[in-house]
Amino acid sequence: MIFATGFIVSIVFLPVIMRRMRGLGIVGHDIHKKDKPLVPEMGGIALLIGLSASSLVGIILFPTKSDLLVSFWGTVAIAGIIGAIDDYKPLNAKVKPFLTLFACIPILLMRTYTPSIVFPIIGGTRLTRVYPLLIPVVMAVTSNAVNMMDPFNGVMAGSSTVITATLMLAAIALRRGDAIILCAMLLGSLLAFYYFNRYPSRVFSGDVGSLSVGTALGAIAIMGRLEVVAVVAFMPQIMNAFYGLSSVGRLYERREVARPVEVLEDGRLMARDDPGAPLTLARFVLARGPLREDEAARVFIILSVISGLLAIVTAYLITVAP
Amino acid sequence: MTRRILDFVILLLYVWGCMILGLWAIDSFIVPMSIPGVNRFVLNVVQVVISASMVLLWLLMWRWLAKSMFWRAIRNHQNK
Repeated sequence: MIFATGFIVSIVFLPVIMRRMRGLGIVGHDIHKKDKPLVPEMGGIALLIGLSASSLVGIILFPTKSDLLVSFWGTVAIAGIIGAIDDYKPLNAKVKPFLTLFACIPILLMRTYTPSIVFPIIGGTRLTRVYPLLIPVVMAVTSNAVNMMDPFNGVMAGSSTVITATLMLAAIALRRGDAIILCAMLLGSLLAFYYFNRYPSRVFSGDVGSLSVGTALGAIAIMGRLEVVAVVAFMPQIMNAFYGLSSVGRLYERREVARPVEVLEDGRLMARDDPGAPLTLARFVLARGPLREDEAARVFIILSVISGLLAIVTAYLITVAP
Repeated sequence: MTRRILDFVILLLYVWGCMILGLWAIDSFIVPMSIPGVNRFVLNVVQVVISASMVLLWLLMWRWLAKSMFWRAIRNHQNK
C-alpha cells in the first residue's frame, strides 16, 4: 500500500512537473547526446511529493511509527529544500555539503536512531556518545555521493533503486521492520521516477531529487540499523566520490573541473585522457573504450547489482555474528 | 563489457575484504591490546593511531590500485 501510493502519486505528478518546468524554462542540456536536447530539470519534486504521500499513508497505517515516519519525511524534505536552492542558484562546492549536515535535525530531535552498530563477524558495538555525532556526517556523505553519481541517463535513479531494493532484502533478512517500511516508501517513488529518467531521459532529477534520495538512503541506514550493509550497497557511489575527490584533491563542482567524458562523432562516450580531469567511475568504466550512453548506464546498474549482492552477503555475516 | 565489470569487481572485493579483515583485526588484536606500565590514556592514543594508520594505508592502496588500473586501461586502448 505504501509502495503503491509512492509509485502512483509520483507517476501522476511527474508529467505535470515536467510540463511546468518546461514552461518556466527550467531545463538543462542533455550533454551526452550529439544534438544536446533540452530536458526539464527538477523532476525530483515529484519524487518528494510521492514520498510525502506515502509517508502520510504510512502514518495512517502504522500510527505507532509516526515519530519514525515524520522524522524520515522531515529529513528528506530539508535535503530537498537545499537541493531546490542549489538548482535555483548553484551553491559553492563547500557550502552544499555543509548545509546537508543539517538535514538530520529531525532524526536527532526525535531520537529515532539506536546508538549502536552491528558489524559483520564482530557483532554489536554500543556508541552512545559518538553515534549522534556521526549522523550528520552520514547524511552529508550519502546525499552528496548520490548527487555526484548522476553521469548518464537513469544512473542516479536506477542505482538508487537497486540500493533501496538491497536494503529492503537485507532488512527482511535481519528482521528490521522499520527499515522495510522506509524502503517501501522510497522504492515506489524511485521506480516511478526511473521510468521517466531512464535512457533517453524525459526529465532530470535536479539536485532537489538527488540530494533527497541520497539523504533518504542515509536515513534508512541510520533509522533502520543497516549501517554496514548500506556502506557495501553504496560502494559504486563511494568509489565515484573517493576517486573524484582524491584525484582533484578537494571538493569540487562539475562545472569547475575538466569534463571526464567526451562525446565522439558517432555519439558514443569516451574517457578523456586529460590528467587534470577527475577520475570518476564513469571515466573508469569508459577507460577500456567508448560505449553508447545506454550501454554505459547499463554497466552502472550492473555494478550496483553486484554491490547489492555483496551487501546481502554482509547482511548474512551480520546474522551469524555473536 | 565483461572486462569493465571485472575491473570494478576486483576493486570492490579488495575494498570489502580489507574492510571485513580490518574490522576483525581491530576487534581481535588492537582493542584488547595492553602494554604493561603504560597508562590507559596513552594506550587509547596508541590504539587510535594504529587503527588510523591501517585505514590510511587501506585508502592509499585503494587509490593506487584504481589509478594504475585506469591508466593501464587507457594505454591499452590507445595502443590498439
